[in-house]
Amino acid sequence: MGLRRDSYRVLEGIVGPQNISEDPVILDTYAFQWLAETISGTKFAARPEAVLLPGSTEEVQAVIKTCNRYGIRYKAFSTGWGPWNTVGGEGVVQLDLRRMNRILDVDAKNMYAVVEPYVIGAQLQVEAMKRGLNCHIIGAGSNTSILASATSMAGYGLSGIFMGYSGCNVLAVEWVLPTGEILRLGSLGSGAGWFCGDGPGPSLRGVMRGFIGALGGLGVFTKCAVKLYPWYGPATIPMEGIRPLDGMPIPESFRVHSLTFPSWEALADAVYRIGEAEIGYVVGRALPPGMIPVLNVSSSAEYAQMLQMVTRAGVMDEFKYCIQTILGASSARELEYQERALEEIMSETGGTIIASMEEASVREVLFRALIKVEGIARVFQLAGTFATSLGAGTSWDAAVASGKLGEQLKRKYIEQGAIADDGGDLAWGGAYQHCRFGHLEEIIMYDFQDAESLKGADDYVAESAQAAVEKSLGQPISIVPGMAEHFGPTSFNYHIWMRKIKKAFDPGMTADPSFYIEAEQPPGK
Amino acid sequence: MTLLDYRNDMQRCSRCSLCKWPPLSQIKSWRFSNVCPSMVWGNFHAYSAGGRMIAALALLDGRIDYTDKLVEIVYRCQMGGACDVSCKVNRDLDPLEVMLELRAKCVEDGQVLPAHMVMIESLRSDDNALGEPKAERGKWAEGLEVKDITREKAEVLYFAGCRYSFDRDLQRIARETVKLLRMAGVDVGISGKEEACCGGRAFEIGYRGEFTKYAEHNIETWNAAGVRTVVTSCADGYGTLRSDYPRIGKTMNFEVMHITEYLDRLIEEGRLKLTKSVPLRVTYHDPCHLGRLSEPYIPWEGVEKKVLGQVVVKDPPKEFRRGTNGIYEPPRHVLSSIPGLQLVEMERIKEYAWCCGAGGGVKEAYPDFALWTATERIEEAMATGAEALVTACPWCERNFKDALEQSKAKIKLYDVVELLLEAL
Repeated sequence: MGLRRDSYRVLEGIVGPQNISEDPVILDTYAFQWLAETISGTKFAARPEAVLLPGSTEEVQAVIKTCNRYGIRYKAFSTGWGPWNTVGGEGVVQLDLRRMNRILDVDAKNMYAVVEPYVIGAQLQVEAMKRGLNCHIIGAGSNTSILASATSMAGYGLSGIFMGYSGCNVLAVEWVLPTGEILRLGSLGSGAGWFCGDGPGPSLRGVMRGFIGALGGLGVFTKCAVKLYPWYGPATIPMEGIRPLDGMPIPESFRVHSLTFPSWEALADAVYRIGEAEIGYVVGRALPPGMIPVLNVSSSAEYAQMLQMVTRAGVMDEFKYCIQTILGASSARELEYQERALEEIMSETGGTIIASMEEASVREVLFRALIKVEGIARVFQLAGTFATSLGAGTSWDAAVASGKLGEQLKRKYIEQGAIADDGGDLAWGGAYQHCRFGHLEEIIMYDFQDAESLKGADDYVAESAQAAVEKSLGQPISIVPGMAEHFGPTSFNYHIWMRKIKKAFDPGMTADPSFYIEAEQPPGK
Repeated sequence: MTLLDYRNDMQRCSRCSLCKWPPLSQIKSWRFSNVCPSMVWGNFHAYSAGGRMIAALALLDGRIDYTDKLVEIVYRCQMGGACDVSCKVNRDLDPLEVMLELRAKCVEDGQVLPAHMVMIESLRSDDNALGEPKAERGKWAEGLEVKDITREKAEVLYFAGCRYSFDRDLQRIARETVKLLRMAGVDVGISGKEEACCGGRAFEIGYRGEFTKYAEHNIETWNAAGVRTVVTSCADGYGTLRSDYPRIGKTMNFEVMHITEYLDRLIEEGRLKLTKSVPLRVTYHDPCHLGRLSEPYIPWEGVEKKVLGQVVVKDPPKEFRRGTNGIYEPPRHVLSSIPGLQLVEMERIKEYAWCCGAGGGVKEAYPDFALWTATERIEEAMATGAEALVTACPWCERNFKDALEQSKAKIKLYDVVELLLEAL
């Protein structure tokens, strides 16, 4: 289709000729995505008409106004990982916010940072640590945008027991609405700075993102403030080596353990108690049983050998109901309290520390993985890709039920050979905000180049989503087009409210709705 | 191997963007948190290693055809391999190999840059890519009265490489290196005007035929001359000899050492005694080809099999070059051996060092990009508080020199050998 020449020239005038392209090679590199095969059958989803690299809020605003004037749809992303970042079809331009990459402020006294879209977790974390602070990083990894997870997207991080959820950590926000107007949320809206998301000034966090986020369907977020939390370690952590098996020194103020329990129920109880005691810096299943071997291997062949060996030897039984924990405290006395509290919780729930994971080198690797949140890409290594399922943000009990269900449902597909035999339990997740809520998502690994495997993966994701509805386990974390229409009727008709929001905020329908919601109900739905 | 052989690697890119950053645990500040010069310069995803893998896949599958933009994306990259290291922290993919094969395909398809054609013409006529007359190749050594290995045997062949042979600003380092070796009692010889290019730059810009020709010529010449040890001060040449020559499968009856390795050995053996203080605070730049790109190429032929249902394994197992076995410590040992000298590290070092900007045919085709890349590194060096930036590669030194001249930044520039000489 292509853009009309006059509109292209206007857009080019806004961002500069070096920051706009409609060359096929540029377009294809934005069409290619992880999980695109679940939408298009190949690694390439739809091509944008052009890609733009705006460098400021003013440029974003001008681009959006131009899109409104010429009837062009747009889709913005920051670090852009996942199919929801691709455009929904013809007539859409992609805004890659990569050039907006500054940390504008780290306010140590008031414990927040102000960031642009392309600041990643690893960048903000090291700058925060220099000031005795840390930021919440989602499980997708510290290579992902802080702003995106705060304003636009779901995603949980295992430091959530201590640091909450990105959707809650977001404070003031600068938002270029689909019309091109700029809306400043929270304290920023009344010129009072970035410290608060809810006022003085407009508090529209629920409209802005709901729980999951609008996934680019409601305009562009150009700056936001996020809450920071205490960091009890040194300003910098000296670390040699780059291999995943290289550990990170554990400061005195932290303790790292892997725990196991006699049953899912005991595990659930223990995590509730941990939340009630308000202890823990990181708590969750960073390494569910099927991923434990990755601590010791560097290739998929080694993984397979190791998993088979430890399964035969019965070692995996010990990891069946496992979690990993980091305790962190500002004083030796507080750390001692936390350790004693954890011991008591373990004693009352039948939990034990997994002895084989207590070796210093293993704990250091675990500490690195949990604090730096850098290893998620390893899950791609084994079968070529992965998908996730279930995993609603819900009560911790329901999360545990999701974990159990996922393992049961996977069994059939593993036996068919359609997905990787990871032992069945790859339930990843944890409890957040001192266990006010939690999530466990069931991961599957598959070979997208194998038609049978791809079909098996698709079928499993669909079956697990249906099961989640039937068992009232909440909306799955797997994001597909049309999701709101599918799940809305079973979840207070939230899709109707989303549609109203879409209509009110985007009367010109310029923000690509493909992963959010169309303004009008699709025929036949 | 051909581009097609890497199709699975391209398909399996997850677009995680880890190729744009140092290994995440090694990020130390916002300012120096990028690892890919091309990506920082170009900003579109296509300029990353992942982007190039997607572009290569799209080209193979006929989704796209050559355009000026595609050719520019392919060649606006120093091929420094930091992306490859970052990718392989978590993945068993070979993005750098894909990029090399993509360049080879471009050359096969006639999609070449004029600046690179000039280099190749120079190679064909004068055995160097710098446009210099072959007859002047050995002039750097005039008056040294060093053995000529084409006429007599020597324990060590000193391979000067093209840059040291012809760059008038840098030739003295080659001369001083030979003097240094002789001071330590090393029986050293050179090839003089008979020396030929290592072929490394031809390999990097996709001209496989020229690379093979020079690799075969040098291996055969050195084998025939009974050379046991080849020592070079050129990190580019070192990387080529050690990493890329094994690709052609010819037996090399000699070991290859970089001058910093050799000097480190001489210091350890007490054959060089460092007595004078050099009171200087320095920082060391790891040349890509001495560091992560010096790991020997490991040939692999095999198939992919499935185990545990859908877990894909290579049979036989494939060993990956992850950059961890590069030459990182010898230059640092040499510098640390110098009395009074203080070595401070930059943020991006060793496997994930930022490139100097000169490699991959960029200095010739995109000189502004090459200088910008060097300036970024100079700023990182200056952020350490060092008085001097030290390196061990003439290509790095040339590019830093040019960038310093342009930026007027106040930092001295040395080769490791120069500082060592001051300490003797």
